[in-house]
Amino acid sequence: MPPYKPIDFDAFWNAVRDQADGIPLLPEVVADPVRTTPDVSVFRAYFTSLDHIRIAGWYCRPAEFSGTLPALLTLPGYQAEPGIPVDWARRGYAVVSVGMRGKLRSNSRFNPGIPNLLTHNIVDRHTYAYRGIYADAWRGIDFLLSRPEIDPARIGMVGSSQAGGLTIVTAALRPEIKAASAGSPFLCDVENAIRLTDTYPYQEINDYLAAFPDSRDAVTETLGYYDGVNFAGDIACPVIMNIGLRDNICPQEAGHAVFDAVGASDKTLYPYPDQGHDAGAHLHGPVVAEFFARHLRKEGGG
Amino acid sequence: MDTAPPDFKSYWDETLNDLGRFSPAPAVTPIPLRTTGFATLYGVRLTSLGPYRIFGYISVPTGTGPHPVLYFTPRYQSVVQPVPQGISNELRRHFIVFSLAARGQRNADEPFAADFPGWLTEGIANPASYIFRGVVADCVRGLEFIAGWEGVDPGRIAVVGNDLAFMTAALGNGATPGATHGATHVATAPELFFGLPPKGVPYPRAEINDHLRRTPADRDAVRRTLSLYDLRAFAPTAPAARLILAGPAGAELDGKALAPLAESEHATLRESKRSNYKDGLTLLSWLAERFDMPDPQALLPRAWR
Repeated sequence: MPPYKPIDFDAFWNAVRDQADGIPLLPEVVADPVRTTPDVSVFRAYFTSLDHIRIAGWYCRPAEFSGTLPALLTLPGYQAEPGIPVDWARRGYAVVSVGMRGKLRSNSRFNPGIPNLLTHNIVDRHTYAYRGIYADAWRGIDFLLSRPEIDPARIGMVGSSQAGGLTIVTAALRPEIKAASAGSPFLCDVENAIRLTDTYPYQEINDYLAAFPDSRDAVTETLGYYDGVNFAGDIACPVIMNIGLRDNICPQEAGHAVFDAVGASDKTLYPYPDQGHDAGAHLHGPVVAEFFARHLRKEGGG
Repeated sequence: MDTAPPDFKSYWDETLNDLGRFSPAPAVTPIPLRTTGFATLYGVRLTSLGPYRIFGYISVPTGTGPHPVLYFTPRYQSVVQPVPQGISNELRRHFIVFSLAARGQRNADEPFAADFPGWLTEGIANPASYIFRGVVADCVRGLEFIAGWEGVDPGRIAVVGNDLAFMTAALGNGATPGATHGATHVATAPELFFGLPPKGVPYPRAEINDHLRRTPADRDAVRRTLSLYDLRAFAPTAPAARLILAGPAGAELDGKALAPLAESEHATLRESKRSNYKDGLTLLSWLAERFDMPDPQALLPRAWR
């Protein structure tokens, strides 16, 4: 059964987008000489997001390039910090890795902690933690668009787990994304996922419902606005998705549900047997590299 | 151990002696939100070397015990959860589960908040002030604490984690005045300490290369510090019942590299199968067998049963 989708779903997110759009981005990059290598320039990246929260991340690009670069947005998993995407930069992409609110360096004004983030204000769609986190993700696209060296017609998004779910949401909301790769998507088919798992992070919701059983209807209402399945129909760009058929964190059933809901006609699912939450990352890496090369690179490089 | 530097023992003896100067002064607080019908969760604050206040989550099964212990030492990340991500919450039904946040990690980040990347190289050019001297002491303090918890089965205390698990189990064997008993088992998946890393390794060991690229004059000092943390030097005093979870064949820390850690009659060495499902089964099967658990399936997350 598909997740509950509120009748005012689009109106809700249009209002959030209008609110975010009214806040100046104020993008900034600061060279990081410790992490910079001879072939990759590494910068600390900053921009302002919803609620005027300053968001930090990493921005990498090849040390030498000519013309404009294809660009990627990537994000960290639920309990991880944003990685430094030097590998993608080595392949010729400009990449921003965004640490959404709550992550280190983005948590001075919003820090519910982990565990707790997933249920922070979960009874109220207007103040639920992920309202801001979703905005932080899509503002990453605005950050890329602020960079003169990137080609705005060649932007992709890649991520796994929480970042897989955020890739679904962001690709639906931002048509500037021309290719999206989502792995082991979190935040999708959530009501079903919490029944199928006994591991954190989804266990946070089970803990919450056990402690506050009277909140179930309010939780269901809120999750309806945030479930990736409810966004997926609006994705128009090519999508690839990898899932592990033994995923102990984001159940494969939820991966199938969101893949089925993706609106794009050009979509491919890669289910990996005998793989857990890593979803065959070592096997799938070359698939992702080829996917972005095909959709974002120009013939002859660049 | 051939690879241990001459001052290896004195460095760690001094660290543990310094740790012993500080009473743990535990403050234990129930956490009702994560308490279930089968286990109670507490947060605990402890004083460690410094003095520095650290944090941990303790889950205690319902019933009088004695209960076996799973002590999860810190992963290389800021976040510490009551049960590590991906591990079944049902484990709390069968074990006392203790998860430690060492200095720099969330809930133990005042006054020092670690950067990621950055934690691994904080003060690395000076062994006396290297952050991991304190982090290892924190882990040993955690072992002392949980081993002394009422209802613990002293014959079944497993330390599980990365390099820190191996170091903790090797060092925390009644070595400090507050200790009652130490670890009986250790399962380790090393990722941090094995001498200077080659070029091109991924994070977190890439942090060391970042540091040396920026500060090449530190090379000898960093090499010396790392020699005091080389896991091979801890092998002789680690519990005999040990599971070494190596990287996949061909990786820097594969089975061949880590073989010296498995030189024990009761050691098991397994290379990663590049699947956290299969590697997770290896760990949980080993635990169930070594702890003589009646229903090994009960330890698995739902998707693996």
